[in-house]
Amino acid sequence: MAAAQRRSTTSKRQGVRKEGVELPGTVPYLDWRWDDLIFLLLAGVMLGSALLVVLGRDIIRSALWLILSFAALAGIYGLLGSAFLAISQVLTYVGAIAVLILFAVMITQSKRGTAKLVFNRQWWVGALAAIVLVLLMALSIMLTEWDVTSEVQVAEAREVALTIYQDYMFAFLALGVLLLAGVVGGLYLAKRDDDMPETNSPMRARRDGEEGA
Amino acid sequence: MSHSLEAYLILAVLLFGIGTFGFLAKRNAIAMLMSIELMLNSVNLAIIAFGAFTPELAAQASSIALFVIAVAAGEATVGLALVIAIYRNRRTPLVDEYASMKE
Amino acid sequence: MDLIFNAEAAGSGAGHAEEALQLVPASSEQQLMLLAVLFLPLIGFLLTGLVGRRLGERPWIISISAVLISAALATILAFSALTSADPVRYGFTLYTWIPVGDLQVDFGFLFDNLTAVMLIVVTWIGSLVHIYSIGYMEHDESKWRFFAYLNLFMFSMLLLVMADSYLVIFAAWELVGLSSYLLIGFWYKRRAPALASKKAFLVNRVADHGFLVGIMGVFLITGTMNVLQSFELMPWSETEWWIVDIVILLLFVGAAGKSAQFPFHVWLPDAMEGPTPVSALIHAATMVNAGVYFIARTSPIFALAPETMLLVASIGIFTAILAASIALTQKDIKKVLAYSTLSQLGYMFAALGVGAWVAAIFHLMAHGFTKGLLFLGSGSVIHAVHEEQDMDKMGALRKKVPITHWTFLIAALSLSGIPPLAGFFSKDAILGESFIFGWTPVFAIGLVVAGMTGFYMFRLMGKTFYGKSHVDPEVEPKIHESPRSMTVPLILLAIPTAFLGLVIGLPLGDAVIFGWLDPIFAPAEEIMAIHGHEYVIFGIDGALILVSVAVASIGIAVGIWFFGFFGLRARLDDVRALTARNRLTRGLYTATYNKWWFDDLNDRVFYRFGGAVANGVMWFDVKVIDGIVNGVGSVTQRIGDDVRHIQTGRVQNYALGIAVGLIVIATLFILLAR
Repeated sequence: MAAAQRRSTTSKRQGVRKEGVELPGTVPYLDWRWDDLIFLLLAGVMLGSALLVVLGRDIIRSALWLILSFAALAGIYGLLGSAFLAISQVLTYVGAIAVLILFAVMITQSKRGTAKLVFNRQWWVGALAAIVLVLLMALSIMLTEWDVTSEVQVAEAREVALTIYQDYMFAFLALGVLLLAGVVGGLYLAKRDDDMPETNSPMRARRDGEEGA
Repeated sequence: MSHSLEAYLILAVLLFGIGTFGFLAKRNAIAMLMSIELMLNSVNLAIIAFGAFTPELAAQASSIALFVIAVAAGEATVGLALVIAIYRNRRTPLVDEYASMKE
Repeated sequence: MDLIFNAEAAGSGAGHAEEALQLVPASSEQQLMLLAVLFLPLIGFLLTGLVGRRLGERPWIISISAVLISAALATILAFSALTSADPVRYGFTLYTWIPVGDLQVDFGFLFDNLTAVMLIVVTWIGSLVHIYSIGYMEHDESKWRFFAYLNLFMFSMLLLVMADSYLVIFAAWELVGLSSYLLIGFWYKRRAPALASKKAFLVNRVADHGFLVGIMGVFLITGTMNVLQSFELMPWSETEWWIVDIVILLLFVGAAGKSAQFPFHVWLPDAMEGPTPVSALIHAATMVNAGVYFIARTSPIFALAPETMLLVASIGIFTAILAASIALTQKDIKKVLAYSTLSQLGYMFAALGVGAWVAAIFHLMAHGFTKGLLFLGSGSVIHAVHEEQDMDKMGALRKKVPITHWTFLIAALSLSGIPPLAGFFSKDAILGESFIFGWTPVFAIGLVVAGMTGFYMFRLMGKTFYGKSHVDPEVEPKIHESPRSMTVPLILLAIPTAFLGLVIGLPLGDAVIFGWLDPIFAPAEEIMAIHGHEYVIFGIDGALILVSVAVASIGIAVGIWFFGFFGLRARLDDVRALTARNRLTRGLYTATYNKWWFDDLNDRVFYRFGGAVANGVMWFDVKVIDGIVNGVGSVTQRIGDDVRHIQTGRVQNYALGIAVGLIVIATLFILLAR
């Protein structure tokens, strides 16, 4: 989490005095802006780990690379001026979803170990489709004239809060209901049927042992 | 570069492409779900990028992205619960094996 | 043979005011009587059909009463019309049958002298045949059906001669054909009658197509289905003359089919499979005359087409000689009479074609009675020799069936044209008029046919009644005269056969019948520019009489020489020697015996070749058309079969589908939004 939100408007060239750290105006050697360097680093990490998620053999490794990707993305959010969202990203994705994924991976481990094939038979078609899609979208992005400012806006948390609780109130409540439904559904789907033998679970084994013996 | 909208959008597009490839090519159902998460994230990135470079939309973009994150969480829950339920029946998380509805 | 198309005279209708026949509405008594005459036989048919079976031995009570009452009423109407000073024509409309837009068809009645003449022929001969059938069908178990059909036939024929609208005439035409079918195939359980009735119906049907198209043509040209109205409108229509000719030709085709003219003559001999009363009624006296009646009725229209009239005359006289030649060598007694009927019908058509309208109708009457008598007589003979129809197995019946013999002799003389019998007057009228109007070939051929007629009739007489008996020895002792129900009609028919000519054919040159019918044919004669001529008994007309009687006598003499007469013996060996003498005679004998192979020709062309064509078409229908229809189904099925492989059941394939769809939509969006 290296992105620092600077409220100062002083020119970067003149440097800023923070406690004990003085950063030069631009990156030495390359003469880039600091923002650009951080952006490149974070982008690289994010894309690289995403690629490794997809290309990895071992699914647990994939899950871990996914976590790294989420984290890098949070950093980029910070770069884009949304500190609130960066933190939300970390909390939700890394803290909840990634953990959930890891749990699911552990439960569905196949006894045979990892499968030999990572990709299915149509992987090259998928690659082709992905590339075409990327090219298409990139092309349309580059060819559009965006009517935007050239400076990053900072989204204040207060603004965000007001937007949610005033303009998007209904959506917020609906979201609550949706999450409730998700919880209930997930619980029900993942519930164990007692007549099906489960995978390794010490509690289960002990119970079975008690009954069986 | 970090102050150009296109850069962030291209980044989002690349991430989306990676997610698409993973979704179409992986055998493990959970890997497919991870790819979906990647795609959702890329969309979020695009939304935030738009919000950052459009003054009026900054707060709204953030709130929308927040909603997306919440929904993604819910979807991941249900999706993984489904995978677990199927795993109980088929003993495998590989979608290749889930072909009993073929014609 | 100049026929001048006299449009002016045609257009002015029957221009001479004193000869013009106006249509007057019928009085209520006349209406009632017309309705009774027509519908009593229909009621008889329905009642006999419904309850006839329960009447047991006498199912004929209902039908005979219906026919007799109808005949009585018809006679009253006819005589009151024919004996009135001025020619009458009245009619009325019963109801409007088809009121659809431009098409207005009324079910109406038309009564004039021509109708009167036809009614006399139809009802008298019809009644006598009904009475005759009491005795003839005595031993048949389904005679109730027979009498019912006879009544149906009477109704149809009466409708035909009394209708005033083409479409009603056509309906009656088909009804008569239906009755004929039912009656020919009366003994349907046997194969031959069933086939014969089908043949009659089919041949008639083919000709009726022409008839129907002709009627449609008349409607298109004149815009009306009413017969009298079409007479007025037809000459003024603006259609091309050749179209009018073709329409009239088609009408002739229909008439030729019903009256068995060449090439539709093939059904009449086969129709002899029906019971003899049927042959007498339908195929000698009434139904086959329908064609003649129709052309006579529509004479103003036929007169508009000289080319068609030429064709009518040609086909008529050709049929006459063709049929007469076949009759020379036939062995079955009814077949000889059938071919004789064809020949005489040919005479009538020839008369119509040359413009001798009244002569044709006169011959229709005379021939009706004569041939009716001949057929009923033959039925009596067949009955006597226990259903044997081959003349080779008859002979010397003169003394055993005297009444039959004498009435038969009178009829044979009449048919051959010997004065003072009826046949002489009518045949002479035809031959005389055809000569005087300039149709010399028709006259010449007609003379030859007259000679042949004499010959074959007395060949028949000789083989049946005279000479040695060749009857089956077992049957011989049982030969007896027919019961009174059969002989009385014979006697009753012999009266007009003998005296009809004397009653209505005299005085020569201004005969009664001409007085009756001239007003009706006046419009046609105007168009054809035919004018009456002075009858010179001691000049040309007398000479014609002498010639025709001489030729007929020669024919009779030859017949008697070879086949015997009363005491004269037959010279059958000479006959055999003559026919076998050289290739020509042998060939002629074989040809005439085999009916000039027309039936085989029809079989080859229509049945075999036509059948092959039909099979080919069926192949096309089954393979191509059904193939297309089934093919659509099977293609759909196969497409479905292939498309179902899309459902692999694998999530990743479906995901790929989503991705590809996304790409496509995105592309479209980009392209279109630009």
